Amino acid sequence: MADHLNTIKDAVIGGKHGEIKALVQQALDAGTDPATLINDALIAAMDVVGKDFGEGKIFVPEMLVSAMTMKSGLEVVKPRLAGGESQSRGTVIMATVKGDLHDIGKNLVSMMLEGAGFKVLDLGVDLSVEKLVDQVKSVGPDVLGLSALLTTTMPEMQKVIAELKNQGLRDKVKVLVGGAPVDRAFAEKIGADGYGSNAAEAVELARRFASAK
Amino acid sequence: MELKPDFNRFLAAVRHQETDRVPLGEILIDYSVQSKFLGRTVTADDLAGQVEFWSKAGYDFIPITISMMSPGKVTEESKITRVLKEMVLRERPGTTDPKAWNLEMTSFIHERADLDKFPWEAAADIDFSKLHAIKPLLPEGMKVIAISGKIFTLTWMLMGFNNFALKLALDESFVAEVFERVATIQFKALESIFAMDHVAGVWVVDDIAFGTGTMISPAALKKHVFSWYRKVGERCHAHNRLFMMHSDGDLSAIMDELIDMELDAIQPIDPSCMDMAKVKKQWGERICLIGNVSNELLRSASTAQIEARVKELLRDAAPGGGFALGSGNSVPNWAKFENYMTMRETCLKHGRYPISIK
Repeated sequence: MADHLNTIKDAVIGGKHGEIKALVQQALDAGTDPATLINDALIAAMDVVGKDFGEGKIFVPEMLVSAMTMKSGLEVVKPRLAGGESQSRGTVIMATVKGDLHDIGKNLVSMMLEGAGFKVLDLGVDLSVEKLVDQVKSVGPDVLGLSALLTTTMPEMQKVIAELKNQGLRDKVKVLVGGAPVDRAFAEKIGADGYGSNAAEAVELARRFASAK
Repeated sequence: MELKPDFNRFLAAVRHQETDRVPLGEILIDYSVQSKFLGRTVTADDLAGQVEFWSKAGYDFIPITISMMSPGKVTEESKITRVLKEMVLRERPGTTDPKAWNLEMTSFIHERADLDKFPWEAAADIDFSKLHAIKPLLPEGMKVIAISGKIFTLTWMLMGFNNFALKLALDESFVAEVFERVATIQFKALESIFAMDHVAGVWVVDDIAFGTGTMISPAALKKHVFSWYRKVGERCHAHNRLFMMHSDGDLSAIMDELIDMELDAIQPIDPSCMDMAKVKKQWGERICLIGNVSNELLRSASTAQIEARVKELLRDAAPGGGFALGSGNSVPNWAKFENYMTMRETCLKHGRYPISIK
């Protein structure tokens, strides 16, 4: 079984998207437990990919191909799980704040979070404070991830946190911020719970937040 | 004290010479800041007001954006928008959301078949009227730097970032072809820019890096992006113009390549991930460095902290030339006005050569 898992893990890390479905099918046919396959091969591979990305060993294209490969593998496993769904590590709402149409960073983090086993609700770009807070209220996520690329839209993050406080939701969700102009000092100043300087750091923080709940 | 623009001062800094003082340099200063400085409203259409601001505030040039796709410039009236709207409605009759034909909000080139469907001719129809209109407004000694020529960002915007990145890994030659078409348009624009004597350089504003490094591998950048920028540099220098670049993020892994493609200056040396003193030490003799006062400081610091930071930068980066002081990105409307003023005033006061800050 270990051989199958290692082969699948290597295929995801290497972005072998054309081979992954057959490899996963072979492993399942050989009796590999679906949950083990997800956790010890697919998610474990994305952990390596995330770490390599964080360390600058691989770049966005390579990471995306690995994520795509992982998703293809997951599609084969999911029907074999009881209920057809794997157990989520937690729920994360992701969005780019009002006035900001940029979504590269947010999409990368969403993809990495999915790869790490989180349920991700990606609300897209240009999200108003009201919409974001409404979603937090109705979905009840473990983490709210806010992204901004523009220096002009960064202050929106502070408004979201203030509105969460106003509505008594602040202690119910961890707020994670990131984006090119954002830094740790800014995150601390606006009262965010965490700052991810890259996708891997964001995933690590989300893990920590979800497991502490 | 009345400040007079002198582009030779900036030129000398780029050539690593000391003149009377360290020049100031920005790619963008929000109109609200310009308005507050002048005590009257300055708008996007008020070229005279903009020239007055950049000149009186101590800058030797005014940056003017001229590009195929400039954020905020693609409007319903733009030719490219009209052509794309026709194309979208032909393919998907009944579409009503204007985002569907806005070049800044929708990507259009997903597969090879889209390459020939895209209205390249309309995209190449760039409006140079601002560059022409500004010429008679310039005071003596002041020049224009054209913000133009970006290739990397335009390519991924046309393709959508995820699609661009995936295709770069899976269908490299397709992406190379999009790069070539974008570069062809930008090169054509350069020829028009070079025909204007009052335009002294081209500033390519093209973010290629995150805080932790480049978005695509240095090897891919070299092959698909820098190969074009090398040609931009050659054309700029053949026409005796400066070739400058802006990119956020950590550029450490590609600084040697940037210098090799004969870039004259790089901005802003992103203060969230690059240390100006180290950059100056490692690469400062080979390229002019611009910027580095953190925008977070401009937003939240005291004027004393701004003054201290500017003095540090002058001490570390200004001796010997090769440095212009400015923000760590651009000057947004949320920067404290007094901090912006302190940044430039500290440079004007303590940036006089020879630098005597210990």
